[in-house]
Amino acid sequence: METLLAILVIFTQPQLLLLVGIGTFAGIYIGAIPGLSVTMAVSILISFTFSWDVFPAISLMVGIYMGGVYGGSRTAILLNIPGAPSAIATALDGYPMAKRGEAGQAIGVTTVMSFFGGLVGIAVLALAAPFVAGFALTFQPRDYMLLAVLGILLVGSLSSGSLVKGIFAGALGLAIGAVGRDPLTFTPRFTFDFRIMEGGISFIAVMIGMFGVSEALIQLQNVDKKAMRQKITKIVPSFGTVRKYLPLSLQTSAIGVIIGALPGTGGDIAALMAYDHAKRVTKNPEIPFGEGAMEGLVAPETANNAAVGGAFIPMMTLGIPGDAVTAIMIGALFIHGLNPGPMLMIDQPDMFWFIVGALMTANVFMLIFGLTGIRIFTKIVEMPRTIIIPMILLLSIVGAYAVNNAITDVYWMLGFGVFGYFMRHYGYPLGPVILGVILSRLLDENWRRAIISSREDMGRLVEGILGSPLSLCLMLAVVLIFVSQTPVWRAAKARLFGKARP
Amino acid sequence: MQPDYRGDNDHHDGTSDATPGGYPDRRRPGELGFALFLTAASAYLLYSAYGISGFRALSAPGSVPMATTFVMLVTAAIVAIRTARLPRVTHETLARDILPGMVIFFVGLLIAFGLLLRPLGFVTTAALFLIVAIKVLTRRGWGYSLTIALGSLVVIWLIFRVVFTVLLPAGILPEAEFIQFFRNLFSGGA
Repeated sequence: METLLAILVIFTQPQLLLLVGIGTFAGIYIGAIPGLSVTMAVSILISFTFSWDVFPAISLMVGIYMGGVYGGSRTAILLNIPGAPSAIATALDGYPMAKRGEAGQAIGVTTVMSFFGGLVGIAVLALAAPFVAGFALTFQPRDYMLLAVLGILLVGSLSSGSLVKGIFAGALGLAIGAVGRDPLTFTPRFTFDFRIMEGGISFIAVMIGMFGVSEALIQLQNVDKKAMRQKITKIVPSFGTVRKYLPLSLQTSAIGVIIGALPGTGGDIAALMAYDHAKRVTKNPEIPFGEGAMEGLVAPETANNAAVGGAFIPMMTLGIPGDAVTAIMIGALFIHGLNPGPMLMIDQPDMFWFIVGALMTANVFMLIFGLTGIRIFTKIVEMPRTIIIPMILLLSIVGAYAVNNAITDVYWMLGFGVFGYFMRHYGYPLGPVILGVILSRLLDENWRRAIISSREDMGRLVEGILGSPLSLCLMLAVVLIFVSQTPVWRAAKARLFGKARP
Repeated sequence: MQPDYRGDNDHHDGTSDATPGGYPDRRRPGELGFALFLTAASAYLLYSAYGISGFRALSAPGSVPMATTFVMLVTAAIVAIRTARLPRVTHETLARDILPGMVIFFVGLLIAFGLLLRPLGFVTTAALFLIVAIKVLTRRGWGYSLTIALGSLVVIWLIFRVVFTVLLPAGILPEAEFIQFFRNLFSGGA
């Protein structure tokens, strides 16, 4: 009963309800603008709200977080520019849909599936937080390493055309992620004696350059092409559509919750893994993946919003942030005199249940705001390219600069934009580059921790993997995914089942 | 991975990342040069990665960079060899299809933006950029270009500078005084 009251407290106070609503609305638009990150918005909010009472402050932050994760999909669908890293996978099939004039339908499905994913994430947070947190804590460095390898193997999913080019792009991303001072020994890597490179290359600058600037430069060649009129008749997906994708969205929500609950990972990795999963389990998509497959929207969008609930699990139960936003939120709770961790559940269970209630409310607001205003939003795509291209370029510059207030990031962004432009023209996929940058640190640090704990002995490391059920499962998954991408396997599968899966 | 890859005209420019550009069975202008550049760059990066810590230990800071740059070198070389064997696309030229004048002009414009951002400040540089870009692309009158450019700049400036307090370079514009003037205006001069 007390639990229910704590969850419902948000509905009894209009001020809190309003703050969650404002936060969610703002979050959607912050998430949609490349360079304006949810992390940045929440950290700015701390300075605004530290004098507030804890409930209003948390309400606003939770709203921004939930809305922001969803908002990234908007520009991914409409402009092929992911507003946030967690929307990279969404662009793969969302943008082709917009090019066909189905932006409204794509945003509608994305909204409903994000809501569903969010719901699953919150339900797991409410019902199984201690268990999931305990499971996440059993991950050893070798397991994180295997998880990163598993992630790297997604290049196959993200590389249409040439797999070799995809592998090159993924390796390039890993190399970009290694630039700067090594976090374990502080040794400079790929800095070429330039002080300015010691801090590494901003991931956001790479992402905005590769997706935003290169897209705008490509569009310059189609500047006289008439913009596609968007069909905004079928925004809300039918019940049949939702039911059809329910099994897939349940699976990808589970992926989202588990990946989200792992400290150091987040919605971006969850979404990419979910996309890969969808490609594997969908035998005959109506439209091939990469050309506007609905499954390609459903999977990443359920996963990245489910990861929100997942990220709160280690934060609330152990005091360990699941991602950058929950790390800032821990700070916010500390400022308000609370101590996130096992004792919070015992000393102040009402706080835990209040956050669950706030997340639920934000999820409902996300659905409402997500399904309204699409008409206005899709007008962006119908704007003349002669105006939209300079806007994209300007927003890209501001976005890259805003992350660290550094002009260097603008130069990196321009460099990667031009490089990405050539990559696109010559058939090198960009997704694996971003994937590599995201996973670089996770792979590097955990490989070295794992090998150090095995006393530099590969045999001992393999022994450790074989001796642990969790590591063994991950290892088998790595082997299975690797083998499934080989031409031999695909040829055998085609012989067995008649035709290769698209 | 899509075995039945579409390399048709609709996707030759890689407009969607999931349907990359290029042709699976032909070589575009400059494609071999790009592949060779990537191979040379990968070789140099591998040499640089070796310089981090050599083969000192599996846990050395250079181990992962060496492994990744080695993979880069091998895959870039494979791509270069495969590309060299492909017949050329006959109906495309480098100047028209890969590096048209408009793209070169805009890359130059972006470099100029980066160089002028600090000395001139964000508002001035962005205004110049937008006016020139919209004028060149729309080929319409100055009135139209100025209205669209300055109108959108005000919106962007309000979002980033005022709402999110992103510290954009002020340069020659007395931005702080400008913001203070508006604050005074709204607070009734108090």
